[in-house]
Amino acid sequence: MAGSGQRIWALARPRRPHALPQRLDRRRIYVLPTRFGLFVCTVLLAMLLGALNYNNNPALLLALLLAAAAVASTVAAHLQLAGLTLEAISAEPVPAGQPLRLRLTLSQRHHRHRPGLQLDHADSHGSTTLPAQGQVDAELALPTTRRGWLDLQRVRVSTTQPLGLVRAWAWFWPDQPLLVYPHPEAQGPALPEHGSDPLHSRPDPAGEELQQLRPYRRGDPRRSIAWKHSARRDTLLVREYEKPAGVEVLLDWRQLHGLDSEARISRLARWVDLAERQGRRYTLRLPGQPALGPAQGIAHHHLCLRALALMPHD
Amino acid sequence: MTEPPLLLDRHARHWTLASAALALLPLLLQLPAALSATIAAVALGTAVLAWRGRLPVLVRVLLVVAMLALIIVLMGTRPGRDTGCALLAAMLAIKSSELHSVRDARSLLGFALFAPFAAFLLDQGPVTTVLAVLATLCALLALQRLAQQEGQATPQPLPAQLRGVLRLVLLGLPLALATFWLFPRLAEPLWGLPERALARPGLSDSMEPGAWLDMMADDSPAFRVQFQGPVPEAAQRYWRGPVLTRFDGRRWERSPFEDTRTPVDVQPGAQRWQYVMDVEPTERRELVALDLPTAAPDGTRLANDYTLRSDRPLAALSRWTLQSAPPRVFASTLSPWQRRQALDLPEGSNPRTVALGRQWRRDAGGDDAALVQRSLDWVRAEFAYTLDTPLAGRHPVDEFLFEQKAGFCEHFSSAFVVLMRSAGVPARVVTGYAGGIRNPLGDYWVVRQMDAHAWAEVWLAGRGWVRVDPTAAVAPERIYDTLEDRLGAGAGANLLDWRQAGLTLDFVRRGWNALVLSFDAKRQRELLRPLGVGELGAGQLVAAFVALAGLALGAMVWLLARGERERDPLLRAWHRLGRRYRRLGLAREPSEPALQWAQRVHARRPDPALLALSERFVLARYAGTRTHLASLLGDLRRHRPPSGASS
Repeated sequence: MAGSGQRIWALARPRRPHALPQRLDRRRIYVLPTRFGLFVCTVLLAMLLGALNYNNNPALLLALLLAAAAVASTVAAHLQLAGLTLEAISAEPVPAGQPLRLRLTLSQRHHRHRPGLQLDHADSHGSTTLPAQGQVDAELALPTTRRGWLDLQRVRVSTTQPLGLVRAWAWFWPDQPLLVYPHPEAQGPALPEHGSDPLHSRPDPAGEELQQLRPYRRGDPRRSIAWKHSARRDTLLVREYEKPAGVEVLLDWRQLHGLDSEARISRLARWVDLAERQGRRYTLRLPGQPALGPAQGIAHHHLCLRALALMPHD
Repeated sequence: MTEPPLLLDRHARHWTLASAALALLPLLLQLPAALSATIAAVALGTAVLAWRGRLPVLVRVLLVVAMLALIIVLMGTRPGRDTGCALLAAMLAIKSSELHSVRDARSLLGFALFAPFAAFLLDQGPVTTVLAVLATLCALLALQRLAQQEGQATPQPLPAQLRGVLRLVLLGLPLALATFWLFPRLAEPLWGLPERALARPGLSDSMEPGAWLDMMADDSPAFRVQFQGPVPEAAQRYWRGPVLTRFDGRRWERSPFEDTRTPVDVQPGAQRWQYVMDVEPTERRELVALDLPTAAPDGTRLANDYTLRSDRPLAALSRWTLQSAPPRVFASTLSPWQRRQALDLPEGSNPRTVALGRQWRRDAGGDDAALVQRSLDWVRAEFAYTLDTPLAGRHPVDEFLFEQKAGFCEHFSSAFVVLMRSAGVPARVVTGYAGGIRNPLGDYWVVRQMDAHAWAEVWLAGRGWVRVDPTAAVAPERIYDTLEDRLGAGAGANLLDWRQAGLTLDFVRRGWNALVLSFDAKRQRELLRPLGVGELGAGQLVAAFVALAGLALGAMVWLLARGERERDPLLRAWHRLGRRYRRLGLAREPSEPALQWAQRVHARRPDPALLALSERFVLARYAGTRTHLASLLGDLRRHRPPSGASS
């Protein structure tokens, strides 16, 4: 559907984003023959014309049966999508430049086995099979180029089942925002140590005394899982350490003179990552906003990156 | 397309190759054996070679050229239906060498879908039909597999695949049938059917020693007859075909002048036979009729010698309604031209027969009938019937009469006519069929290709042309007896069983012929005659077609949309019960347990019956106590939400 076709399909439903869940009703599903379907259609027409002309009844019956099966496959292709629901989408934010792994949760109440559902968004493709009355997660890897809110276009869900003669498709257009973090500098200076308290040396988090265990939450780093405890309890447990008494760092926008704002954002993003990895408490100061921190941990990390991602573009 | 081609997986490849092979099979059965064997070998070879890797372009081009050359050598350059089919078969065979991407597989399958159609142009028999249906189903399975590969779905097991395809075909069946019966047919074809380049064995305008052996071994039906009224007895069941008068010493030919002259005078006897013939396609114009047809039906012509010829080649099954009467006098006078032709013998051929004929004429004086009787007596006394004859030499009649003294109808009729002509009695060879088998199912007669027969006619003053069958003098059982008579002496019940099965099959085949094969524009117009409606006009047909096709389409959509039915009757009944409550806004949540739902409903509007039912359902479904399943099913189906005041 590229090129001039795009303009026509801009009129197709849905024409603007909608809240999730979105259910495909039959008026939102489009069906057109594939290139191969057109070829078969030509062959069938030739057969029908020849059989009618020669009054060759077995040939006519066979051609008609094939044509009717093709019609049935068209209806079946439409039904492969009808009633399909996009329950939710989610994605772990990634730095710009890395593909955003968009997870789409599809479900249906029908008794229909739906194999070979294809998902497309611009140049990214994915496919999945939805079992009867079931739910399934499909993944799309969306390329990201710039930080901030991702401009999510319509996601096309399509199928050529059952015979590959026609393609049925429909669009989902979720209005759910997806965030892309700024791309951290690949190489840059070390964390600014000035203005920080040099009293304590940086402790190694792995060697720290265990404070408590808590259940695993999605996004917890793998190295913090307490495997031995988990094996004993039969559920994943994560170590929570006492706040590491690291050296606090101040990451301040204003201290980065001589850089344009994108470069500043990149550097700050790298520093935020670095400080988090080193287990240090850090404060992020951005213009026109209250300072974030000092704090440490996943939540703080995401908060800082989010603030950086949403800095106004030039 | 800039996307890289999607490569075939092993599964899809197998299916595609299998469908190409199956599609090839009905075509190969209709082509000359040598060509079929070569095409099959090439198909196998390329499939095996291409398995290893892509064949070089040069090899493929060479293959194409070699196949073209072979087809031209074996079938000639005259374009015909069979030449086209041979080309298609060769292309299918070579095309299987380039089978790498999904796209390749699909183009091969497109041709594989076309192949059964081509096979039907050559033959519409049961074998072709069965093979064509199998090939089509296999191609659909392959298409389904390809679509699954395209959607990156995991391959399903074979029964599930088969179910998917059969479901589509069965759902399409009503629509296909409605279109088949009601879509307006062409009364006259827009363009003619190309003829075959190679003829099949059958009755023709000529007869040569040994040329009939193929036909005598062919037990496929030539035509089927249903008599209305009296049935001729065995000695009268001579189906008259082409009459051959010209003889060159070896080969008998029909005189082309016979067609241009009007039929001779005939005084029919008192007997009349009314019958309907269903003639299998022959690609020729020759028709047969019981000796002698009283009139030519529409679309045929009777020649001077009472040979029946169709105006068009019989490319499809055709039905003829005829009346015949045995002649009392068949051509009371012979014109000088006719007499000369019926006495003509080539100079110098078969000298001993000619000498014998002259000798007998001197002995008999003017009595032609005595001459005929004398030669029949001789044949009866000294000759034998056999299909195992040596190749004919320079004087085939001499060799047969004086050396071999054994042969079949071809030899007997030919020798007899030569002998009669030598003795000065006008005589000619008549070809056609003799006998036939009665099928008690449906009460009709089948005449097979192997019933082909040749006999003689001599012209006697006062009686005209009289049928003389020298073969019947030697081996009457070959002509008059049916197989039952020969088996009657207790040849074994086994053989009779086989025969019964054959007759049943033929009955089914006749039904298929009547119902499907011979359906045409005329029968379509008379479709509603059994209901007392006259001929349908084009407008009525279109209206009926649109109405019925719409209904069939609606049924298809409804059946498809209903989705896969729940297989468990208990769950089905339970879901139906749930739907009745959903209408009242009391739908069960997807994750809500049955008992909890029932209690919730009961709290909203008292419904103790539902509580009891849901308990029984839970027991039957999860505890496996299915002893009272039938009564539970009945109760579930009968239960309705109480119509009390809702809260």
